[in-house]
Amino acid sequence: MDKDLMQERRGFLKQFGATLGAAGLGAAGVGTANAATKPKGSIPAKPVKVGHITFLTGAAELLGGPGQRGHILAQEEINAQGGLLGKRKIETIFADEAAGTDANVKELRRMKLSENIDLFTGVISSGNTPALGPVAEELRVLTLFNDGCTDFLFDKAVPNPKYTFRVTNIQSADGVTAAVGAATHWPKVRKIASIQPDYSYGRNVFEHFVLALGKLLPGIEVVSESWPKLGTTDFTSHITKILSNKPDLLVAGVWGGDYVAFYKQALRYGLFDKMKVATTLAFGGYPHAIGKDHPEGVLAGVHANYHFLYPSAERWPINKGFVERYYRRWKEYPSFESDGAYIALYLYKQAVEKANQLVGGWPEDEAIIAMLEGASIDSPAGYLHIRADNHQGYKDAVTGLSKHLPGYDFPVWDAASIVSIPIRSITAPPDWPKPGQGHNESTAAADWIKKTWPTAKA
Amino acid sequence: MSAPPVPSLVRRAAAAAAVLAALLVVPAVAGTYQTQLLTYGLTLAIAALGFNLLLGYTGLLSFGHSAYFGAGAYAVALMMRYLGVSSMELFMLGGIAFSAAIAALFGIVCVRHTRIFFAILTLALSQVLWTLAYKFFWITGGTDGLRVPFSKVTLLGGLIGFPGADAFEKFITYYYYYVLAAFCVCVTLMWLIVHSPFGKTLQAIRDNETRARFLGVRIWRYRWLAFLVSGIFTGLAGSLWVPLNGLTTPDVLYWPQSGKFVFFAVLGGFRNFTGPMVGAVIFNYLEVYAVAVTEYWQLTLGVILIALVTFLPAGIVGAAARLVDRLKRRRGAAS
Amino acid sequence: MRKKKTEPMDIVALQVLNSLSYAAVLFLIAAGLSLIFGVMGIVNMAHGSFYALGAYVTAWSVAAAAAALPPAALFVLLPLGAMAVAVVGLAIEPTLLRRFYRRPEEYQLLVTFGLLLVLEDLIRLVWGGAPLTANRLVDSLGLIQVGELPYPVYNLVMIGVGAAAALALWAFVYRTKFGVLLRATAQDRRMAAALGIDVGRIYSLAFGLGCFMAGLAGAIVVPSQAAVLGMGVEVLVVSFVVVVIGGLGSLEGALVGALIVSALRTVTIQFWEEIELAALYLIAAIVLLIRPTGLFGKKA
Repeated sequence: MDKDLMQERRGFLKQFGATLGAAGLGAAGVGTANAATKPKGSIPAKPVKVGHITFLTGAAELLGGPGQRGHILAQEEINAQGGLLGKRKIETIFADEAAGTDANVKELRRMKLSENIDLFTGVISSGNTPALGPVAEELRVLTLFNDGCTDFLFDKAVPNPKYTFRVTNIQSADGVTAAVGAATHWPKVRKIASIQPDYSYGRNVFEHFVLALGKLLPGIEVVSESWPKLGTTDFTSHITKILSNKPDLLVAGVWGGDYVAFYKQALRYGLFDKMKVATTLAFGGYPHAIGKDHPEGVLAGVHANYHFLYPSAERWPINKGFVERYYRRWKEYPSFESDGAYIALYLYKQAVEKANQLVGGWPEDEAIIAMLEGASIDSPAGYLHIRADNHQGYKDAVTGLSKHLPGYDFPVWDAASIVSIPIRSITAPPDWPKPGQGHNESTAAADWIKKTWPTAKA
Repeated sequence: MSAPPVPSLVRRAAAAAAVLAALLVVPAVAGTYQTQLLTYGLTLAIAALGFNLLLGYTGLLSFGHSAYFGAGAYAVALMMRYLGVSSMELFMLGGIAFSAAIAALFGIVCVRHTRIFFAILTLALSQVLWTLAYKFFWITGGTDGLRVPFSKVTLLGGLIGFPGADAFEKFITYYYYYVLAAFCVCVTLMWLIVHSPFGKTLQAIRDNETRARFLGVRIWRYRWLAFLVSGIFTGLAGSLWVPLNGLTTPDVLYWPQSGKFVFFAVLGGFRNFTGPMVGAVIFNYLEVYAVAVTEYWQLTLGVILIALVTFLPAGIVGAAARLVDRLKRRRGAAS
Repeated sequence: MRKKKTEPMDIVALQVLNSLSYAAVLFLIAAGLSLIFGVMGIVNMAHGSFYALGAYVTAWSVAAAAAALPPAALFVLLPLGAMAVAVVGLAIEPTLLRRFYRRPEEYQLLVTFGLLLVLEDLIRLVWGGAPLTANRLVDSLGLIQVGELPYPVYNLVMIGVGAAAALALWAFVYRTKFGVLLRATAQDRRMAAALGIDVGRIYSLAFGLGCFMAGLAGAIVVPSQAAVLGMGVEVLVVSFVVVVIGGLGSLEGALVGALIVSALRTVTIQFWEEIELAALYLIAAIVLLIRPTGLFGKKA
């Protein structure tokens, strides 16, 4: 890459405190398996029951499968050490999220009322967390969602959460991260085309991407919008429409099997030669779901969360260890859903241990919740912080350009291209008014960006 | 196929009373989880009751009853969101009015046709509604749906409410009896309808359209009325179902939901008054436990479905009735 | 937001081609659906799953044979994928469906719906969740230029297969002895039986042929797209709309319906995407209102 251009970009990123390239993360982490302190009081040997709903079938299995495998890995590791507080083994009941929102509501009630679960985890779809969050609160079941990241959950559906937490980055960060990534690598783009799945996630990505990019690169113009229904496999007409509007940049929130079908067709229609492409979820499924034919230089989003080669092995051994153990167990590389589900269980473990040190014995949910609020943990993806005010997980948002590296049958990130943004730079601060409290933006983040981000000089 | 002998009205009333007595004690013995599951079952049973007025008594297979169920559900959600209504009685009235309006309109179009064409037409129209709920997201919430938290619902003209964080158990107990009461009213009403001259006429049309026409019956009008009543029952079921589920999404308007109603009827046996209701309750358990037991729930459900329609063509109630009948006859022969 | 631009002719040409390749796939599926209904009176809810099965079998066999065979030889695997689906259909018809012919529609709908559920899960059981692809076929044929824009030659093959299938089917139904038997059975099953036609065999073959067409649709789609879970259910609804517009049981109807639906889709995507879905169902509802039996359907 051009040296001057590199300088310019680093300068641009400075306003966010963001970094370009494999740098990121100052010190090496201490590792999740730090020497456990001796549990206080008597701990019952009864297993801890966990419920986990995720996509086990349908097109979204691409996300749900790795989540399930991340959960199982964490469970096996913890159980191998004797269980939680050295005594209580973890047992998990899995159920398929693809059964539909209404069936998920019934299943969560069954898990709590009939199976008596101690902890509920999982959930991928941003349509399902706003349905299940309130149910979890009603049932008073401690819940760590590992995705379903819509802002709507804690902005509106559960504005004052007590039992529900979420470990992945908030959804608005997804569009904003793609915008920062695109502005970093391609500051010259002006004409924007968009292709988004036709539901709330796609609208969230589109809105926040355009809003943020408009602040970063003044004078942008949206020249084309496409809204394929979720589950679309024939994208040729959408692609031709995008070509007909001659954009500089395409932002794509299409994900899972849809993205695989999309890029294969777009490639043969020469779309990638004619414009830059910024995605939010291209690398969101299992890494090997994307083929060798995937073009290089595409901003390959991971839901602003995690991709397995970053943070790099030298700087963050925790990630190296996680990837190795995951690969050994499953013969594949982890995705951001694997990281989310994996760290959710460790987060619970950490909170239980801390609460035990304070109160002794097996802690009540209230004590565990107190230890989760404001908690920090070294996750494979870096530092993860759970904000006390809204129970939302925050970690540095990342994205990067796709590249084929020797040793992998699928594209990964070009290490020099990775953009890492401190999450506080792109999400609304604590106690920023929620939608309906003095503003009617779709999210608190949108309102915050509109009101506080300066518009860059043209 | 010989029809089982009709038990006397007294015997039927006694059986109904026994079932009711059993239903009344459920919350006391079964716990919150089973009670809420049965509450779901009862709301679906009301929908099945409405559905079967068309299939069982009028001979029309609707593959679009999700439209009325969804209309009832969305009526509640929209009233709560835009009108600030909280009274369940008002919700039911709204649900009935909305589903009646849609059934009246769709009915005009559909009742001129029968058999597969009727089924396809009802399906296509229901999917238009689904598209509206899906696309007009600024009104309907799109795929996120609209929330109807039970904590904002009041029963009996505001007498009973469920505020507070730990009200779920209380809600389920009260709401179970509320739905049970609505269920009893619906069953009684439907019983009266199918045994009224109107109901008899519907069955006459079902059995021989030409003869009915020859006798001067205005077939379309009767079918339209049946369509309307059927839609209203199903709509009411949708209204009762929403607070239980906590939200309504376009899923309730999508075609698989219509397929479930068909399944209720065939599973229980649509030639029996009670069949579809029993089918609805059983299907509710089947679905919940298939999802709970295995990640291959589709395979499980599919195999059960195929086995049931293959080996129990008269449905569970039909098969049971025949079994009872055969036992009786054998005993009669022995004595 | 949407700026009116003069559409260059190459975009129009490309969209017409896109529309045709989509129509080819829809036609294959809808024609099978219609054939099965026309002859056997069954609305096959599992038809989309046979399409998915065709896609999976083809992608799997292409991947398995890719090392051993030159790209040109891999094309043989397309009809083989379709044949595999036909074999599955031929096995299912006598064992599962036969006993339902005398029962009312609701039973047939339910048993095929059950089959849909079973096939969805079986596909996942066999091939897992990752998408399967067979792009080698597309790339082996290269690209042509449509004006300034590249266009994969393979997509022309899809259109060609659709057209050839339409012709072959027409010739088969209207120009062969078997076609006569097929039509006779479709018109009056009892009369056909009375005339000594082996109705059971006709049914089996009609169902197998319908499954072959669905499998072929899946086979030709997979090289240009991908085999993903849920693709069968997704396509079922659209092909149902095609059949409803064209007329249940009519092959001409399936062709015209496929062309209408795909043209409508392309036009709405290009100009006014918000109404894509609504337009689809509204057109179906309007056609049904004017001609309840569809454009080419016969009166019940």
